[in-house]
Amino acid sequence: MMIETLALVEMDWSQWLVPFTERWWQETVCSALVGVACGVLGCFVVLRRMALIGDALSHAVLPGVVIAFMLTRDSGIVGLLLGALFAGLATAVLVNLVSRHSRTKEDSSIGIVFTSLFALGIVLISALPRGLHFDLKCFLFGDPLAVGTADLWMMAVIAPAVVLIVTLLYHPLKISSFDPVVAAAMGLPVVLLHYLLMGMLSATVVAGLKTTGVILVVAMVITPASAAYQLTNRFWVMLTLAGLFGALSAAIGMSVAFVTNAPTGPAMVLVAAGLFALAVLLSPSHGVVFDWVRRRRLNQHIQSEDVLKAVFRLTEVGTPCTVEAVASDASMGLARVRSMLDRLRGQGMMMPDPAQVGLTPQGEARAVEMIRSHRLWESYLVERAQLDVSSVHDAAERLEHAHGLADEVDEQLGHPRFDPQGKPIPPRRG
Amino acid sequence: MNSTTQQSGSQAVDASATVVGVESAVAGPAPIEVVNAMVAYDGRPVLRSVSFTSPKGKLVGIVGPNGAGKSTLLKAILGLVRLDSGTVRVFGQPLKRVRRRVAYVPQTEAVDWDFPVTAMDVVMMGSYAGLGLFGRPGTRQRAAAQLALEQVGMADFAKRHIRRLSGGQQQRVFLARALCQQADILLLDEPFAGVDAATEQAIFDLMDRLTAEGKTLIVVNHDLSVLDRFDLLMLLNQQIVAFGPTEQVATDENLRLTYGGRLSLLERADTTLQHAGPEMQ
Repeated sequence: MMIETLALVEMDWSQWLVPFTERWWQETVCSALVGVACGVLGCFVVLRRMALIGDALSHAVLPGVVIAFMLTRDSGIVGLLLGALFAGLATAVLVNLVSRHSRTKEDSSIGIVFTSLFALGIVLISALPRGLHFDLKCFLFGDPLAVGTADLWMMAVIAPAVVLIVTLLYHPLKISSFDPVVAAAMGLPVVLLHYLLMGMLSATVVAGLKTTGVILVVAMVITPASAAYQLTNRFWVMLTLAGLFGALSAAIGMSVAFVTNAPTGPAMVLVAAGLFALAVLLSPSHGVVFDWVRRRRLNQHIQSEDVLKAVFRLTEVGTPCTVEAVASDASMGLARVRSMLDRLRGQGMMMPDPAQVGLTPQGEARAVEMIRSHRLWESYLVERAQLDVSSVHDAAERLEHAHGLADEVDEQLGHPRFDPQGKPIPPRRG
Repeated sequence: MNSTTQQSGSQAVDASATVVGVESAVAGPAPIEVVNAMVAYDGRPVLRSVSFTSPKGKLVGIVGPNGAGKSTLLKAILGLVRLDSGTVRVFGQPLKRVRRRVAYVPQTEAVDWDFPVTAMDVVMMGSYAGLGLFGRPGTRQRAAAQLALEQVGMADFAKRHIRRLSGGQQQRVFLARALCQQADILLLDEPFAGVDAATEQAIFDLMDRLTAEGKTLIVVNHDLSVLDRFDLLMLLNQQIVAFGPTEQVATDENLRLTYGGRLSLLERADTTLQHAGPEMQ
């Protein structure tokens, strides 16, 4: 008891309070705004397969930023932003020119253009006059300490502007991303919209540079958007989710970094990657987890129906219905049979008394339905799929669980009364 | 619709001065009039001096071998590729002024089927043509989209993601988008690719209804076995081999000329000029 108290006293609690300082909220709000803008624009980047150009823009803004720095002689936000915008648009135009006027494909053109511009930027830095120092390391890896009130104000303008523009131009942006040729045929300014996106992306990326740095900022563009892409089939939902994920990654990453003293940019990127991994696992349409749940549910459905049938068969021939007998008839393990019997009791298919295994009228009807389905499917396989009579049983074992279709099979076959082995097919109920 | 007919009426005088070969006596300028259109990609001609006039309310088929410039001709009419020379007039006017009256169904092979849109979303896009940059589709556009889906028999699939549609259903959705645009001219590029025979029949029936309403349809097609469904037929192999009523055009001789497989003399001349330049001196 004594020792614990001592330990508590000795711990430096002040470090846990750091997150609640002014610095924390300023940087968190700023990077959350960057996250929203990056996430929303990222949807277009991901869907238009421009991930590489996102990376390119962030690198290629360097010469623009350096030139702006040279001209204004300080790292004022407006100058840097204009320089970056100019360089960003120049990249987009150059990439377009190179791929149009040479046989070089777009991806290589992007590679050539942005590395050249980045190299130009580095050369320009070395040519800066004495007394002017440009922090390349901050540009590459980000430096949250450099985030000031001016940055916060800038993002407070850029992020809402991006959201507003995307909302206003939602429909033209959607069709020109999905089907640019038809959009152009309709007379929509597809090229202009493309450059508008590039411009917004450059501005956002430049704002994000300070927190994440050139190398990682592309993650804030494509990772939250890709996570959202896993989860929905609606475009506006994807945009909303991506903005939300972007903000979450930034806010959580920033807070974690403050508490653990980790670098902020990488922390944000790791949180975004974590969200992406969760989205891949949990996606309702193609997620790994839901897939597993679906398969498991189908298996349980099949097994419980097999148990039901076994009980019906045993009762029919007058064999005492013990768990063991059912297990051997359905060729399943004892524990499995017990759990399926419980399940069937819950569904009202089995007599409620666990000591006595027997079907309720409802269970009996279902079992007859199964047998009807099985025999109809056997007939179908022999008649329509030209399968051999001896080989249809196993296939029908699986198909019988699709008993919703049995009536249609019955209809198509002209209501047969016997299956291929001569066993009677029970008539349709009701 | 009323405003569009008025528009075409007022242009009639202007058009009659320039039109060369409109044989029909229908009032108003022809829906599509192409004069001497030439298109080249990288100096290699794709269309050579193509001229034709397409009358109103007809189903026009364009057939020809691969690389014959069929898709390019559609894109040239739509202003999506630049003409090196020649003119395209739509209802007697430059395309820019009547763009909304032309709908386009592109080949579906380039479509990103994973894009997060449902069948209904795609069809609604047809209404964007009339909405401008900042317009938003409302109840009227939604109703038009619903109607278009019903016309192609896809109403039950409105909420389905496009990836989960069969090839034929995907084609019908894209056709519905063009219908939703409520255009007077429809240009369709290979609308029967990946479509089963029953759907193909259904689409042809729908096209017949559309032409009966006075719409003009131009269809690039690959399948020679359905030529008789077209009112007019164009055999194209960089130049127009034949154009006219299907029963007159679809002769064995014409088809042999179109699909002959041999390079035309013009093309051989081009190749010689391009590659053997120095040796010719």
